[in-house]
Amino acid sequence: MGQLNMYWTFTKKAFLRSAVYRFEVWSRTGSNLIFLVMWGSIWTALYAGREEAAGVSFTAMLTYIVVSKFLDGVNEAGTPLWDIQEKVRTGDISLELMRPFDVPLRYLFADFGSVAFYMLTALLPIYFLLFLFMDLTLPTDGFTWIYFILSAFLGFLIRYCVEMTFGLLTFFLVETGGIEDIFYFAMSLLSGSVIPLWFFPGWLETIAMYLPFQSIFFLPISIFIGQISGSQIYMALGIQLFWLVVCYLILRLVWNRASHKVVVQGG
Amino acid sequence: MSIIEVNGLQKEFFIAKRETGVMGAVKSLFKREFTKKEAVKDISFSIEKGEMVGYIGPNGAGKSTTIKMLTGILVPSSGDVRVNGIVPYENRQENAKNIGVVFGQRTQLWWDLPTIESFELLKAIYRVPDKRYKENMDIFQEILGLNEFINTPVRQLSLGQRMRADIAASLLHDPAILFLDEPTIGLDVVAKEKMRTFIQEINREKQVTVILTTHDMEDIEKLCQRMVLIDHGQKVYDGEILAVKERFGKMRTLVVDLEDTSKQRFVTGGELVKQEGNRYWIRFNRDEISASDLITQISQTHNIKDLTVEEPDIESIISRIYQEGFTEQQETVQI
Repeated sequence: MGQLNMYWTFTKKAFLRSAVYRFEVWSRTGSNLIFLVMWGSIWTALYAGREEAAGVSFTAMLTYIVVSKFLDGVNEAGTPLWDIQEKVRTGDISLELMRPFDVPLRYLFADFGSVAFYMLTALLPIYFLLFLFMDLTLPTDGFTWIYFILSAFLGFLIRYCVEMTFGLLTFFLVETGGIEDIFYFAMSLLSGSVIPLWFFPGWLETIAMYLPFQSIFFLPISIFIGQISGSQIYMALGIQLFWLVVCYLILRLVWNRASHKVVVQGG
Repeated sequence: MSIIEVNGLQKEFFIAKRETGVMGAVKSLFKREFTKKEAVKDISFSIEKGEMVGYIGPNGAGKSTTIKMLTGILVPSSGDVRVNGIVPYENRQENAKNIGVVFGQRTQLWWDLPTIESFELLKAIYRVPDKRYKENMDIFQEILGLNEFINTPVRQLSLGQRMRADIAASLLHDPAILFLDEPTIGLDVVAKEKMRTFIQEINREKQVTVILTTHDMEDIEKLCQRMVLIDHGQKVYDGEILAVKERFGKMRTLVVDLEDTSKQRFVTGGELVKQEGNRYWIRFNRDEISASDLITQISQTHNIKDLTVEEPDIESIISRIYQEGFTEQQETVQI
């Protein structure tokens, strides 16, 4: 209980810290909406007035993009990669290691605070209005909403583990630009954040299916627009749970190696 | 049992050799050579509860490496460390509850938030009970005057205020041991004095064991009774500061300005340590020769324009130990 209370305090303080950077909220919201308009226009052009493509209606596709950009906003509010790189670069990581808490968990709970602030002040109001004024499909029954939220949350946790793992590679490399590129490439393409997996060529779809990234965008959004329904939902949630466990174990492994490197080689 | 026990502590690092030039860079992609650096070689000491010990040495002597091993963020290559009965690197989180750490060059406070928020965070991290938290904050207010800036974001604090906040933050959970790494670096004279007074009061009131690393010898002289002096990863001296002063305090330096240096003449009983133009620094042991004897000798052949006799401060004593080790020399010099 005391443990949870401690990590929860990180959430509260990170929430307050986000409030200090109000300008960042606006600039991030601005770029989020620009990308939404861009991808919305691209898909409108690709459908070229057709009602349906690959068995998916235009309205569903547009909804897919809007929900995707919403999740993008949520995920981008947590920045473990950047945080950990900064701590390693400045050497402040040693101060973190001197504390009676678990470093990966501490950053996760701090991210909850940043995400909560961004959702409450920008994402929820804006996307509420978008859904109100645009012709989009909303899940009709409450269960779909619950499954979507659950799936999106699992996706967030998976992304956190993956991003933190990439961030921790800073411990082993002097230059991390290449690593970041791989991460952001996988996050934007293989996750299905801008192109749903069903439009992928067969071989790429297969690859994406066997990677954790689809759990972050493709699965929750598919649940939202009803592309995944019925017992398939349990399957999707099962896949996400599986990847969460795998990514978490990898994160722990890399973290142990990284902190071991600090304590043996002095960082 | 001592609160800190260090026995035969050693730490060696392997540093990748970087070769120069393009070919060297390409080569190092495939094959890297390592050189061994012994940062700490065979250091032993023990510190009792409530002691304030100055842990000093020149840059690169192995100070931080030792401190890191005591705080548990570095694993020794060999030797034993025990801090409050715990082996720090085996039980880092448990050890963390017993220690407070201040790095003069870093801050443990959240940069963007009002100072009070960091204290609340630390309260949660160390699970400080409400009552204890309030008592401690009252003490910090009394001695450090925290309240005047407690609602100011950390990034807007002056360096003196930030250091005060940092030291208070490190003591919030009542650690048994406090590690201070250059706690007065960059502070002005008044702020330094305040900081020292605070460390003294905390040590007296809470019986906190303090280990202080610094390059400011005044810190050591004013705060510590004992110092551990290390150089090249080895312990050079461990004992009372007074004893060092006693031993080397006999040495005096006679500074003379001579009118004419063309004539040659020997002075016995003193050692010429420096010469700039017509000014000479002659070190002597006051038990062996008096200043007036020395002056008489010189004045027989030279006209003395001006002279002063300097007593050594701890700083010059220590820099002398670094340079020459622990020996005392007497020789004949020519001026």
